[in-house]
Amino acid sequence: MTASRSVILGLVALPLVYFTAFFLVPLMTVFVASLTDAQQGGMTFSNYARILLDEYHWSVIAVTFRLGILTTLICIVLGYPLAWYLVRIVKWRTWRRICVILLVLPLFTSNIVRSFGWMVLLGRNGLVNETLQAGGLIERPIRFLGTETGILIGLVYILLPFVVLTIGNALAKVDHSLEQASADLGASSASTFWHVTFPLSIPGVVSGSIIVFALAVSAYVTPALLSGGRVTVLAVLVFQQYSSVFNFHYGGALAITLLVFTLLMIAIASLVSRLGAR
Amino acid sequence: MKYSTVLLTTSLPAIFVFAPLAAAQPQSLTVAWYGGNWGDAFQSCVATPFTEATGIAVVPDIGTSTTTLSKLQQQAGAPVIDVAYMDGGISELAEEAGVLADIDIESIPNAANLADAATYRNGDKVYAVGNGYYSLGMTYNTDEISEAPASWDALWDEHYAGAVTIPSPSNSAGIPFIFFLNQIMGDTPDDMSATIERLRELDAALFFDSSGAASNAFQSGEVILGAHFNVGAWALIDSGLPIGFTVPEEGVWATDARLHIVEGTQNGDAALQFIDTALGAEAGLCLAERLYVGPAVTNVDLTEEVSRKLPWGETGSIDDLMLFDWNEVNARRSDLTETWNREVVR
Repeated sequence: MTASRSVILGLVALPLVYFTAFFLVPLMTVFVASLTDAQQGGMTFSNYARILLDEYHWSVIAVTFRLGILTTLICIVLGYPLAWYLVRIVKWRTWRRICVILLVLPLFTSNIVRSFGWMVLLGRNGLVNETLQAGGLIERPIRFLGTETGILIGLVYILLPFVVLTIGNALAKVDHSLEQASADLGASSASTFWHVTFPLSIPGVVSGSIIVFALAVSAYVTPALLSGGRVTVLAVLVFQQYSSVFNFHYGGALAITLLVFTLLMIAIASLVSRLGAR
Repeated sequence: MKYSTVLLTTSLPAIFVFAPLAAAQPQSLTVAWYGGNWGDAFQSCVATPFTEATGIAVVPDIGTSTTTLSKLQQQAGAPVIDVAYMDGGISELAEEAGVLADIDIESIPNAANLADAATYRNGDKVYAVGNGYYSLGMTYNTDEISEAPASWDALWDEHYAGAVTIPSPSNSAGIPFIFFLNQIMGDTPDDMSATIERLRELDAALFFDSSGAASNAFQSGEVILGAHFNVGAWALIDSGLPIGFTVPEEGVWATDARLHIVEGTQNGDAALQFIDTALGAEAGLCLAERLYVGPAVTNVDLTEEVSRKLPWGETGSIDDLMLFDWNEVNARRSDLTETWNREVVR
């Protein structure tokens, strides 16, 4: 018993040390910097006041979270049927494996490369505009790059696999006998889906949404490349302060603001889903 | 800043344990330089000859100048980087941040050929030496624009609306480019409101934060006219793309890539040897041929073809470049970035 306890302790110690050294310490460094005065060095809330009492920053926060929420919603709407197809429709195991590989394959390439790919596709002379023009749907090229729409397309593409995998996992765990019972009791397949299958898959939807939302609001590369410097999100402001202005105090406060707002949004979403499940 | 440094230095002993002990003859020298064709050129023009001559391997630490400065600040006290390439402007900020060592210029034989303008001093301390000048000139798509634009006013030409680019403040050239525009528009640095207003009117496809993003936009045709570095522009032209590079009548703004020794390095002698290799005529020629950067040393013999592509053109010299007082530019970095965010991007 004692031996197994020390094994467990040993196993926990390593990730704990790793977590402390590479997550908590850097985060605390950022937090302390955000509460430090740039000139005098004393403790101050002025960096936060600068952000929260300023309309400009609220507009940036609004853009960031609008993109995060829309990305999450679109990912769920697109990802759920895709997960359903993979788990429920595909019977041939090899084909399912191929589909999963195709789904996760883009995750093996860098975000930068994929965002550059979208820059080419969404450009004035890109494939999307050329196709729309050739089909007679539009006369002049639509401006995607440098708009929120462009960023949204890029984020959905990059984050969709996370939703499909989490929802697919939840769907695979749904006990078929419950659905059969529902059908035996006379429920239609739509009714069975809405009252049995969907509620049981909600944990997958929630965890997928949290992953996608957190990654979308903190994304830097995709918004930076697809916005062409014309749409500002919080991550871009943070990067600017750290990489160009070198004000780690204000930059730190921006980063902590982003973190707190993200956690708040996730807490609200979890609360709503828990209330909904009752 | 102080708090973060203290916290970081006190929390890193675990890492120190794993750090190799300082040896008399280092096995390797860590040099921070830029990515892409710059990094490739530094590798083959400077690092490889250095390793061949000394037997010391060079470990590249790739990043933009601003990223390198951030790393140096985070590593203050226990630097991993020994020698750092950083651009003008960021170089002054690094000196101000106290992360640079004094370069003993007397012990670098090739420094004898270094132009005066390329030795950067803070009092008696030499904190940087130039290793090549480059400019931010007018770059255009020759399929769309048959004649090279004569003036920077072309950026506002309605024919090119929605297809022009200039650097954003996240790029090291962003803030100086606003100074440059301000100067050619005849405004004083104290009041840049007219320049900001003109920038607001600019219908840009892209405000680029990396040279690669600008090259990509020119390559894909997303952008047909804009400010781009001579290094990136000539790389596109040499690869056969329909791109032109020109120096408009108002001139171009220029700066340089500089070499620095990091304060607290354990490999000071090797760092000096590295700088000596970089300031050699062979390295100067190689960098000019590969990147079209103007040598900061005076003993480099260049071909006409290469000279034509240098930031000062075929017959010019360092004296023809429009170089700014970086301390003046840096003092405005924060408020101009803020003004840009609030007034130009919105």
